[in-house]
Amino acid sequence: MELLRLAMVLFVINALTIGGGYAMIPLLQREFVDHYHWLTNKEFIDAIAIGQLTPGPLTVMNAFMGFKIAGLAGALVAMAASYLPCIIIVTTVTKYYLQYKELWVVKAAFAGIKPAVVGLLAAVLFFLSNGSVINPLTKGIAVVSFALLTFTKLDPTFIIVGAGILGALVVK
Amino acid sequence: MSLRKIFLVFLKIGTFSFGGVYSMIAFFERELVEKRRWITHDEFMESFAIGQMTPGPPIVNTGICIGYKLRGLRGALSATLGQAFTGTVLAILLAAFYLYMKDNPLQQSVMKGVAAAVVGLLGSIIYKMALKLLSDYRSAFLALGAFLALDLFKVNPIAIILGAGVLGLVLYWRE
Repeated sequence: MELLRLAMVLFVINALTIGGGYAMIPLLQREFVDHYHWLTNKEFIDAIAIGQLTPGPLTVMNAFMGFKIAGLAGALVAMAASYLPCIIIVTTVTKYYLQYKELWVVKAAFAGIKPAVVGLLAAVLFFLSNGSVINPLTKGIAVVSFALLTFTKLDPTFIIVGAGILGALVVK
Repeated sequence: MSLRKIFLVFLKIGTFSFGGVYSMIAFFERELVEKRRWITHDEFMESFAIGQMTPGPPIVNTGICIGYKLRGLRGALSATLGQAFTGTVLAILLAAFYLYMKDNPLQQSVMKGVAAAVVGLLGSIIYKMALKLLSDYRSAFLALGAFLALDLFKVNPIAIILGAGVLGLVLYWRE
């Protein structure tokens, strides 16, 4: 039952991921943490970190969460359910691309959804930072990571590894 | 073009590309257009456009689209498997290690540092998206509305996305 639920949730979320891979984060947080209590908020942040650390798309974080919920079967079901809607939608659109391109309905709906995703992500960020940015050290790490990713071309992987090392050395 | 070749080149792309959308896209183009000449630059740009104008993560969708152009549905599946393989295996190994080490104090210290960095990284992504997407009153209104709906009223984000899509139809009617 748990596997079926996991598959359903990820299928719907991936079919609604519009405006970049990060758009799935607010939806995942609500379903995995608030609704089904499969993960705590802290574990959810760790899952995002794993998605950033591993090569390939952020979607890989779903394998991490699936494993946490239901072991190896959970990870495999999570990945299949994440990719299935994309395969259905993209192959259909590729076939009818010329007609699809001209559909103003799709363009208008996307134009509405993309800015809304920015607002959703901002709300989730507030929520996630409550439990994880709590003292001068973690505040410092958050500000420096923000600045490095915004103003330099440094790879996020290095920033996360660096923050982990700093955590090991300084946090008690 | 054999399915095995498609799988292998996407395995390479999925294994050696770090650091977000643009580095992955550059890697796609180098491998598929410049080195192997499987598709032309224009076909690649069209695939990327399709990846961005369909629901689902754009990188995933671009890969599926290219696989489909090369060998139909089976090509799309081969590309997907190749692209996801390394990351999925690593994520499973890391998850097993993470659960095994759950009560280890060193891991907890490491993850406290990592969690703060993730907050900073997400902040930067939101900042960049806002600069690009919030260009007029309508988009600013939609972003603010979505923020308040989630932050204050705890509306389900799935409902907010659907609602924003409907509002988009009204605000951007036949543009």
